[in-house]
Amino acid sequence: MINNDIIFNTIDNGIIVLDENLKIKAWNYWLEIRTHIKQSDILDKKIFDKFSYINEKKLKRKIKSVLVTNNPSYYSVDPHQFLIDIKLNTIIEKVYDSMQQDITIVPYDLEKKLVCLYIYDKTSLCKTNFKLEQLNIQLKDLSNRDPMTQAYNRRYFSEVSKKMLSLSLRNNQSLSLIILDIDKFKDINDSHGHSIGDDVIILLSNTLENLIRNSDINARFGGEEFVILFNDSNAENTYSLANEIRKKVQTLCVKNEDKEVKFTVSIGVAEYNEEIDKKGIENTIKRADEALYIAKENGRNQVVISK
Amino acid sequence: MSDNLTLNEDERDCLQELMNISYGSATAAIAEIIDRFATLSIPNIKTATLEEFKIYLKNKLDHNSSHYVTNQLINGTINGETMFIIDEKSTLNLGKEFELDEDELVDDELKDVVLEISNIITSTTLSKFAELIEASITFSPPTVKILHSIDEFNEHYANEYSHIIIITTDIKFKEQNINGELLILSKDESILFMKSALNRLLEEF
Repeated sequence: MINNDIIFNTIDNGIIVLDENLKIKAWNYWLEIRTHIKQSDILDKKIFDKFSYINEKKLKRKIKSVLVTNNPSYYSVDPHQFLIDIKLNTIIEKVYDSMQQDITIVPYDLEKKLVCLYIYDKTSLCKTNFKLEQLNIQLKDLSNRDPMTQAYNRRYFSEVSKKMLSLSLRNNQSLSLIILDIDKFKDINDSHGHSIGDDVIILLSNTLENLIRNSDINARFGGEEFVILFNDSNAENTYSLANEIRKKVQTLCVKNEDKEVKFTVSIGVAEYNEEIDKKGIENTIKRADEALYIAKENGRNQVVISK
Repeated sequence: MSDNLTLNEDERDCLQELMNISYGSATAAIAEIIDRFATLSIPNIKTATLEEFKIYLKNKLDHNSSHYVTNQLINGTINGETMFIIDEKSTLNLGKEFELDEDELVDDELKDVVLEISNIITSTTLSKFAELIEASITFSPPTVKILHSIDEFNEHYANEYSHIIIITTDIKFKEQNINGELLILSKDESILFMKSALNRLLEEF
């Protein structure tokens, strides 16, 4: 003959038996150990009197559902986290303060209107899922960024610029962009070495990030070339912003031992124009690139707007 | 789809009849549990292949409104899973019927309401259906996701079913109209079991 009491008190789950008035009729050893409440001290007490944080209306409804349908009901970890708050004491990296629980409520005795609650510890699984989600977010972000400057990469720019364009068209707003290129960058590399060249690119990228708004997108397009997409900004406004950037850049310097390395940028500006840019934002980039070419031809360290 | 797995007209009629009966028990249960007079409209039943199912879902999910989608595994003689799909507006109405306060009409509370209603509908309908075709089944706990497009569906769900039974119904409360759909996705061997059970019943009557 199987002794159910042994199973009741040795199983690695919490077990509670409740009547329809939510009075506790059984409380197993697993719960005694984790809550420091003995079964003898809690029997016939209402579960809400002991654990006031439990949503009474909700638990009652779930129990009613079990008694009416003679089928299980669930109090899931998503969205509840737990039914009985069991604090976690662990020296291992802590993600949650309390044990994450899945609860299955099953009929126990329909005549006496008793239900049984099985509490499953889902903390490890939740922790793994949580970490996985965090890593996925990081991974996604990493795949969108240029490793050296942390600016967005060309792939991400192409993806997000299309979305921003459709949003701008829907909201009837202007969308402009600039292409920016460091002047005579080859000379910096040749005179001071590639390491200083890299420092110049990083300093420029950080400066651009600080000068633009959160809604604008700065991306490194190639070696010393950056593209910035300005949300809700027309060509004239973007021209002024580009000029601010140009002026700021000429004040920057990178230290190479006792020497100061200064640099300038040339910038091409273009606003998306439905008539001209039928092929999409790629054509706007092309026009900004042509304006940049003119800026370089005209003597560098200047901003040229695409007509 | 191989022919021996396709339901013929008689089998579909019989299935519709059995589902009508099974769904009736869900109506009574909902009314009693939330203490509201609720009726479920006569369910509209369709059977679909995976491709048809995807087109059906695409039309449904690719709208501006998001959908709450629950799924629950069924084990036993009928093996597979069920999904319950309900749009955001119906979910809000459902939340009100469950007497959630205004400040409780948030994703987490609504998720729980959807989980609960789908569990009641699924477990009562399928338990009754299993009883009628002499099958034994158990359920796993349901999970819920909020989906905005078919791409998210493809990202989250495996495509291992070739046969899907789609049961569409409206849950009507006194003041609110709530539209939800129960989808039963069954493994091929379960379809064979169902077919033989349906034919047994057809011979008896």
